[in-house]
Amino acid sequence: MSEGKHAEDLEDLFEHAPCGYLSMRPDGRIAKVNTTLCDWLGKSPEAIVGKRLRDLLNVAGSIFYETHFAPMLRMQGFFQEVALDMVRADGGLVPVLANAAERRDGSGDLLFTRLTVFKATERRQYERDLVEARAAEREARRQLEDIVSSLQAGMAEQVAIVMEEKRNSELKEQFVAVLGHDLRNPLAAIDAGASKMLRDQAWTDSTPVILRLMKNSVSRMSALIDNVLDLARSRLGGGIVLNLVDRPLQPTLELVIAEIQTAHPSRVISTRFEIARPVRLDHDRIAQLLSNLLGNAVTHGAQDKEIRVECTVDSAGNLALSVANAGDPIPQEMIPLLFQPFHRGQVRSNAYGLGLGLYIASEIAHAHGGRIDVESEQSETRFIFHLPAQ
Amino acid sequence: MPITHRNNVTVNGLGGTAMMFAHGFGCDRNMWRFIEPHFRNDFRTVLFDHVGAGMSDLKAYDTEKYSSLDGYAADIVEIGQELGIEKAVFVGHSVSAMIGALASIRAPGMFNKLVMIGPSPRYIDDGEYSGGFSAAQIEELLTSLDDNHMGWSAAMAPAIMGNPDRPELGEELTNSFCRTDPEIAKQFARVTFMSDNRADLSKVEAQTLILQCSNDIIAAEHVGEYVHNAIPGSQIRHLQASGHCPNLSAPEEVILAMRDFV
Repeated sequence: MSEGKHAEDLEDLFEHAPCGYLSMRPDGRIAKVNTTLCDWLGKSPEAIVGKRLRDLLNVAGSIFYETHFAPMLRMQGFFQEVALDMVRADGGLVPVLANAAERRDGSGDLLFTRLTVFKATERRQYERDLVEARAAEREARRQLEDIVSSLQAGMAEQVAIVMEEKRNSELKEQFVAVLGHDLRNPLAAIDAGASKMLRDQAWTDSTPVILRLMKNSVSRMSALIDNVLDLARSRLGGGIVLNLVDRPLQPTLELVIAEIQTAHPSRVISTRFEIARPVRLDHDRIAQLLSNLLGNAVTHGAQDKEIRVECTVDSAGNLALSVANAGDPIPQEMIPLLFQPFHRGQVRSNAYGLGLGLYIASEIAHAHGGRIDVESEQSETRFIFHLPAQ
Repeated sequence: MPITHRNNVTVNGLGGTAMMFAHGFGCDRNMWRFIEPHFRNDFRTVLFDHVGAGMSDLKAYDTEKYSSLDGYAADIVEIGQELGIEKAVFVGHSVSAMIGALASIRAPGMFNKLVMIGPSPRYIDDGEYSGGFSAAQIEELLTSLDDNHMGWSAAMAPAIMGNPDRPELGEELTNSFCRTDPEIAKQFARVTFMSDNRADLSKVEAQTLILQCSNDIIAAEHVGEYVHNAIPGSQIRHLQASGHCPNLSAPEEVILAMRDFV
């Protein structure tokens, strides 16, 4: 040592290096530890030599060391940059980063495992902050995604509601216009008939014809008003109120058919009744239901083909009342819309009203606990009112 | 997806009887590299990675399924069925000792013999029972898993995934050995250290050998004795090897003890 104390003293380097040194024997017991590490831990070398590394770690760190870093060390001969918490004499923790390497002899037998530790309080805190920031960011992102998707869903819903409202209000305006128009036509007919009779000043050959036309116009206006009132009733709550009675059904049905026949003398309406027992019904409403279905058949069915009305009530009391007409089938996609008052794309004026007939008929069916089915094929279109035995 | 791909299964050996090796928490099937080759002459050896570990298919990781050890036991039974394993030997390290016990109960006849290395049916103290850890210590462990997160997230995946034929100790595995997705590792840690399989031990019908290390902080000697007393007809062998991984630190001793048993 000619250079005296100016030369680097290896012993001093080991003891006072700016990092902690620790060597373990093959059985895992600590053989040597430097002063730096002893100082950091506030322990004497005697308190450390002979212990195991895990005795210097907190419990979590020792589990982690045993399950991860000990195997890694054995498998690859070293590990690097492992985060550990060492426990000081006073119980406080020293956060460190550790590197380790095995030292083996020529035949591959383990001599020592050497560990260097670097105090890393600030760095470890920073890394923990980073991890927490990342977790917070992930959580924030998740929340943001939730918000965005619920906003999107909410907006889509709002747009749908607004569109629906807009469409409904347009349809309602159309509806009012059509209602006014439809009431004006029969009113004009009555007015014309009355004027003609006033001019004639007497009963002439044409008088019965004029009166029948006027009466038809009144019936038509009356049916329109009934349907509008029913629409209002079923929409404004309460639904349709029934007045149920036990009375033979056939006369009620025949009366409706006669009325329609009178209004449309050129149409052939055939009937078949097989009514095994009385059914408890609101007859006025059933008359209205049949009238609406028949009106529909008269309007939309082929003019030169017969309309068939059938009513059967079996011995158990199951009722089926059907109206069938020939003509173009109803497109399949239209069928679910048939019974909706404002969802037919547009309100159409036709000879028999406002397109409310089927809606009212189905409301009447529901009020009774039944339903109306539609079968529409090339040969015929059939509306069937089913009412199961009560 | 084939189960063998999902669990990175490899079959070796010349024997008729199968011997399946299951790694524990914190590592992968490489754990057995000093043990498994010694049994190839007499057994058909089966190595695999639990889903979420090693070279298993991470896409198959299902948080729900693997929220208890049963999910892992179900995988073992599936592997056994796939390979037509019967009357075999199951060698489970650490938490896989319990997973093997569950699998043997699920599929009677699949495993006749269980070798449990460092088993613990419950890590957290519970009244009279001493598992070795307080609930607070385990909670601290689960929290501290994040401390080695920084290295884990960046380095791990490309090195392992990019090389399906990884050489056993290749340069590219440096410091990434036994690493996996940190989120999965956290959940596996939770499932492992929160598990309680004490009630299952009495249902084990397979012949069982417990290999108990000295100075194992994770599965202390009295825990090994508890398992020994709870499994009917089991044997316990105390190893000189210290620590939790005798299959790495003292493979000769483990091989000797296993040979005597099988």
